[in-house]
Amino acid sequence: MFVGRLLQGLATAAQLAEEAEALNARQGLLQGLDARVKLVSMLVLIVAGVQTHSSSALASLLVMAFVLALVSRLYTMPVLRRLWVGILLVAAVMALPALFLVPGGIAGRLPMIGWSITEPGLRSAAFLFGRAAASSTFSMSLLATTPWPHVLKAMRCLGVPAVLVAVLGMAQRYIFLLLQTAMELVEARRSRILGPLGAPGRRHMATSAAGALFERSFFLACEVHLAMVSRGYRGDVRLLDDFHMRRRDWLAACFVVVVALIASIGVGR
Amino acid sequence: MNEPVFELTDVSYAYQSVPALDGVNLSIRRGERIALLGANGSGKSTLLRLLDGLSFANGGSLRAFGEALDEASLSDERTHYSFRRRVGFVFQNPEVQLFNPTVFDELAFGPLQLGWSRAEILQRIEEIAERFSLGHLKNRSPHRLSGGEKKRVALASVMIVDPEVLLLDEPTAALDPESQSEMIRFLAASRNTGRTLIIATHDLDVLPDIADYAYVLDRGRVAGAGTPAEILANEALLRRTRLIHAHWHSHADGTAHIHAHGHGHVHRHEGSHGDPGSSVSSPPMTNGVG
Amino acid sequence: MHIPDGYLSPITCVATYAAVMPFWVVALRRLKRVLHTRMVPLLAVFSAFSFVVMMFNLPLPGGTSGHAVGVAIASIVLGKWAAMVAISIALLIQALFFGDGGITTFAANCLNMAVAGSFVASWTFASIAGKTRAGEARRLFAAGLAGYLALNVSALLTAVEFGIQPIFFHDAAGTPLYAPYGLSVAVPAMMIGHLAVAGLAELVLTAGLFAYLLRTQSDALTCAAMVEVSAPACGTKPIARLWYGLGAVVAATPLGLLAEGTAWGEWSVQDFIDDASRLEILRVSDGTALPDAVPAGLRRLSEAWTAPWADYAPSFLHNLSLGYVLSAIVGVGLTLTAWYLIARLLRAVTAARPIERL
Repeated sequence: MFVGRLLQGLATAAQLAEEAEALNARQGLLQGLDARVKLVSMLVLIVAGVQTHSSSALASLLVMAFVLALVSRLYTMPVLRRLWVGILLVAAVMALPALFLVPGGIAGRLPMIGWSITEPGLRSAAFLFGRAAASSTFSMSLLATTPWPHVLKAMRCLGVPAVLVAVLGMAQRYIFLLLQTAMELVEARRSRILGPLGAPGRRHMATSAAGALFERSFFLACEVHLAMVSRGYRGDVRLLDDFHMRRRDWLAACFVVVVALIASIGVGR
Repeated sequence: MNEPVFELTDVSYAYQSVPALDGVNLSIRRGERIALLGANGSGKSTLLRLLDGLSFANGGSLRAFGEALDEASLSDERTHYSFRRRVGFVFQNPEVQLFNPTVFDELAFGPLQLGWSRAEILQRIEEIAERFSLGHLKNRSPHRLSGGEKKRVALASVMIVDPEVLLLDEPTAALDPESQSEMIRFLAASRNTGRTLIIATHDLDVLPDIADYAYVLDRGRVAGAGTPAEILANEALLRRTRLIHAHWHSHADGTAHIHAHGHGHVHRHEGSHGDPGSSVSSPPMTNGVG
Repeated sequence: MHIPDGYLSPITCVATYAAVMPFWVVALRRLKRVLHTRMVPLLAVFSAFSFVVMMFNLPLPGGTSGHAVGVAIASIVLGKWAAMVAISIALLIQALFFGDGGITTFAANCLNMAVAGSFVASWTFASIAGKTRAGEARRLFAAGLAGYLALNVSALLTAVEFGIQPIFFHDAAGTPLYAPYGLSVAVPAMMIGHLAVAGLAELVLTAGLFAYLLRTQSDALTCAAMVEVSAPACGTKPIARLWYGLGAVVAATPLGLLAEGTAWGEWSVQDFIDDASRLEILRVSDGTALPDAVPAGLRRLSEAWTAPWADYAPSFLHNLSLGYVLSAIVGVGLTLTAWYLIARLLRAVTAARPIERL
């Protein structure tokens, strides 16, 4: 059913957000760490994974990513699991043809069709897959265990301009409202439909729902602006930052930096 | 008699050449609780926005705290901050007012803009969270709050700077009975606190509890004024200004009759009769809800 | 089209960050000046809108369905500057929240979809519908075309970024370390999908949404006037000069990467020993003297180093496909520039309308 498909993306987004919030409340290694440490760690580890040219270093990073996800009990989230499968699928689609397309010495042949897998192709596909998998696991396990407001404050501490942090925070806050509004708009249109709808009708329905959403967004932006001005906003964004580094945060930070350095330099060449 | 807070002389306002307010004269004094009554499109929300310096009159003059309130005066930083400190506005839709990632940030927003010190802000958040029972909600995101909680946070986020004047747009609309009664209790308790309340509403049921004096607006003009009792007794005025309308109504015994009723009627039917929400307000019409 | 982490080499990532940063800075400055206190809520709400619209699964002619980015409708209604920031923020939330698109490749994604998309969409729309006050059909056509072209230019940029990876970034044995397919594979593979499906999704969304706004006589349509038309009020000249400067920087970024044998901070141990390289380092370091011997730390590091910043220069200079790459990049640049100039020529100077709301 088309409306179901149209709504699926919206529902997934809403569900993921809910689950992420539930996950934040759960106990786990990563949940207990300072948001700044996690944010920096994530960046450092992803950069390490992207820039290393050593396959063993990449493999170690990948293992580390899985272990982190495991100890933070991320695997129990169905939506997260589904997204992860999606990311791997994309990586596989990109990586698999490389096995055959990258020229080089032949490592083996596929049994039935006889396509030859090249040695550089194998290496290349492994790099692509490993990098994508490690990076996405790092970013997900670190960000899925951090409440979004904390991510914002951590960004602020890392020198991201206040105005961007404010826009990001507000955008994320209104995503929920607009997701809900979008679902209501589509539902309302669905309830008025009698019988099956042709393709142009479905397109019309989808775009007019998007149009109504746009109008509401515009109105919302106007109103929010007034609400901000009413409480004294003059265009300078002011935020209250309060974070305390504890010993385990420093330990985690040091650990990550060491791991990233080792990974970048390459494990045993 | 107390000094005037707002003085409006022949104020008019048009949006894209459609008049919303037309020759409004009002004087509101410190400590008064004023209701602005009117049907949708009567101009009461526009009037609130003018009073909060969010939009500006096209004609006439508007004075706040004895000084002219216009775009030029508010663009001065000191006037802006002192005006924003003294006047608070609770919007009708709490979604609009809760634009921060968490309740805590929401409460901190106003004081931060006004340049309060960090210690002062933190202390004030504690106090206000206690007063509005928000302690357990401080780290929640707005989308994880119920409708009543959203309204409470919106009110608290304005009350945190302790404004002298509180403007409220339809404070009791679209609330569950319990939250509605909570809001009415808050507005009723504001009597004799010295705080000026200006409440735009079309809910006649709650009028006697929340206001000492009311202006009736119709199509951008002041159509009538008086105490809640006087206004509610003037059925011709209420009918003319579309605050009540003839209503066909059938009874269980099979008889039917036509009578006038207020718009608050629908909400009260939704609640059960044991609800505190429906017992707080008294029916405005003697021949009201059957 | 969201490039995940690991598909682009670190140098490409750095280059795209460098290229996209000036656009963000100029856009934010400009918006701040035009919108004042309205900027934060406007950008926030429209970032949220873009994010939600990216979730819409649109039914397309031919029985398929696809997701749109929403960049064209945002550029038409909000203006290109607001659109590029709003889309960038939506992309950032997608990357952080959903793992959709990478962190290191975030700038590349923004460059392709938000920045290039906004420019192409608003130039296209302005050049076709700019002076037509009436002519609803023409405006709708312009909107649809803007969407289609914006998305396809984004896809082309993405394909070029993918396509140059194996040429420059491979190990000693020639194994590609990032996206493994050359331009001859990446460009057709990306473009077929986008010309046939994703571009249509953007077309459907842009035209459909625009039709809705026209039909309802939306207030939102005056919004564009607000962001774009009031630009002269804040001084066009410095902005224009900055824009030409930016164009030069962007054009030079890929060229600079190719032409410069070593980029600053990327010297290998060999460079310290080689005299010519020393001279060059001296030059790019602004005359700061170099130590005579190879720094001990660097030497030690280099022993364990698996050449992460391998010397790209020799391999690519001997590479036959260099000319192809250059022409591809220059081609994209020229297309964009030509588009811009045509649009400027065609665009009538619309009178500034007063802004009532927002």
